[in-house]
Amino acid sequence: MSPVKGVARGAAVTFLSLVVLIPFAALITNAFNGGVSGFWSAVTAKESLHAIGLTFFCATLGSALNSAAGLATAWVLVRDRFWGQGLLNALIDLPFALPTVVAGVTLYALYGPLSPIHLSLTGTWIGITLAIMFVTLPFTVRAVQPVLETMTFTAQAAAATLGASPIRIFKTITLPALAPSLLAGTGLAFARAIGEYGSVVFISNNLPYKTELASSYIFSLTSSSQNTAASAVSLALLVVAMALLGLFSVLSYHFSRGNR
Amino acid sequence: MRSFSSLIRGSIALGIAGALVLSPALLGEAGATTSTVNVVGYSVAGLGIRALEAAFQGTPAGANVTFNNTFGASDTMTTNVANGQAADFVNLSYSPNLTPLVGAGKVPANWATQELTVGGVNVNLTGNKQQTVYNTPGILTDSAVVFVVRQGNPLKIKNWADLVKPGVQIVTPNPTSSGSARWNLLAAYTAQIALKKTSHQAIDYLKKLLSNVVAQPTSGSLSMSAFVAGTGNVLLAYEDDAKAAIAAGNNIQFITPPQTMLIENPAALTTTGLTNPAAVAFYKYAFSKAGQVILAGLGYRPVLKSIATITASSFTNFTKKNSLLRVTDINKNGWTSANLQFFSPTVTFPAGNTTYPRFGIVTYLEQFVGSNG
Repeated sequence: MSPVKGVARGAAVTFLSLVVLIPFAALITNAFNGGVSGFWSAVTAKESLHAIGLTFFCATLGSALNSAAGLATAWVLVRDRFWGQGLLNALIDLPFALPTVVAGVTLYALYGPLSPIHLSLTGTWIGITLAIMFVTLPFTVRAVQPVLETMTFTAQAAAATLGASPIRIFKTITLPALAPSLLAGTGLAFARAIGEYGSVVFISNNLPYKTELASSYIFSLTSSSQNTAASAVSLALLVVAMALLGLFSVLSYHFSRGNR
Repeated sequence: MRSFSSLIRGSIALGIAGALVLSPALLGEAGATTSTVNVVGYSVAGLGIRALEAAFQGTPAGANVTFNNTFGASDTMTTNVANGQAADFVNLSYSPNLTPLVGAGKVPANWATQELTVGGVNVNLTGNKQQTVYNTPGILTDSAVVFVVRQGNPLKIKNWADLVKPGVQIVTPNPTSSGSARWNLLAAYTAQIALKKTSHQAIDYLKKLLSNVVAQPTSGSLSMSAFVAGTGNVLLAYEDDAKAAIAAGNNIQFITPPQTMLIENPAALTTTGLTNPAAVAFYKYAFSKAGQVILAGLGYRPVLKSIATITASSFTNFTKKNSLLRVTDINKNGWTSANLQFFSPTVTFPAGNTTYPRFGIVTYLEQFVGSNG
């Protein structure tokens, strides 16, 4: 290994440790401050299980719907030409730029009891899922877009001349090629949705055992000095999220292998 | 790889250069005559504290003082300060929040006496010489729990019994993160006791009340936002917050229930605040007649007797028996003990009883209502 390479690797590892690994180590240590039994009772408390369950339900639903919507959006942006396309393309990233609390307040006004469009979704899982979709849409669009842009579509054209239906072409050629990036985008959206706080805390109405999400439950725990319990629930959330993201990358690997 | 490491080297050099350029500026600021006071307050305190600060900056003592404010759910603010957030002056929702700060060494144990030593307010005076209204040391503002309703009071809400009727949708903050929520629920319980109900009947009442709750935002001010945005038809809130929201032009009104609870919001100088002359001067100003007049104008009940007398006409009076209750009416050991009794995260029952907890009454009821309602 050349010295330059060594320095670069050292810098990268130091950076990663400072920014990511040390905080995670602290989180794990905190989570087990009350021993394994303390960890377990915090995670399996009814309120915690309910909040985690609702969080995963809405995050899964929101990111799944977004992978379809994101693919369609990216497709339109890449394959079509229309007036205002550049503007639309720029707008996609806005949910990232908007502070999530602002998104939360805006969505509360839009889907709240005084909804100008007469659609009251506050305090429902539909409202929470909509908020999640709003903040995570850019992930799938931006993951799929570059792949679509470089796709040549010669195989698709060949298949069409051989009489394959458009649906069959999409299923057997286009989708497998897009799958790794689509899965990566969906995975990012899902991970973001699990930890989402600002945009969902208003619209959920935050009712314990009913519409309280994990992020908000953890916030409440830290507020009342129950830091060990808060870390325990966060860790449980992370472990489940990691398992699901692992599954995604296995799927993604499978697709990219099949594609070659 | 070479370009990558040169990039790193470049950024390090840039960082060092930046630090060298900035450091004289930072040192210069410390040497100047302006001083900064770090203020941490419960969510609803923001309005009053900001007004106090602006007025204080207009006095000679405050002319060169700048403020660094943080406002949020009281328990959250307490945790942040206990964990090291810079704070010179704290104004929290209720006294138990000072306990962890004393434990963490952030606030001196005798914080309540600062009202006399720093503020010059003697709560021990009695009779004609009484200086404060409710004689509780360390309290900056008083308030009461009120019912905020839509303009015209369409549901004709008058008292606590009206809140548990079918179809009433209540907004009150989440008691795990909000001090305001704790005042509200304790007021509901104490009112039942004042209405000659047994403790079991009062717990049953709380259960019914919680089943009518449709939203529990994380703080008192977020609850007001949710209510103003159309959620629910009754909001349990501080009287001062209700007045502020009405003054802001919202289409709401408030009702003072026949039995309500005296809310006492403490303020204290932290150990760092005591060594910061600007913070000490601000504390003194907050408890002065001038400071209390400003707070009274914003709807906070002043703690100074003299100011309470001249502003009496702008507040509902509590001359009727049992119209203004205190935590000590239900728990003679006050807040610290009542906090465990109602909000302990661990629920424990007395022997042979599984319906009416000894500790964690609200914790248990939230779970019961959430799972069965």
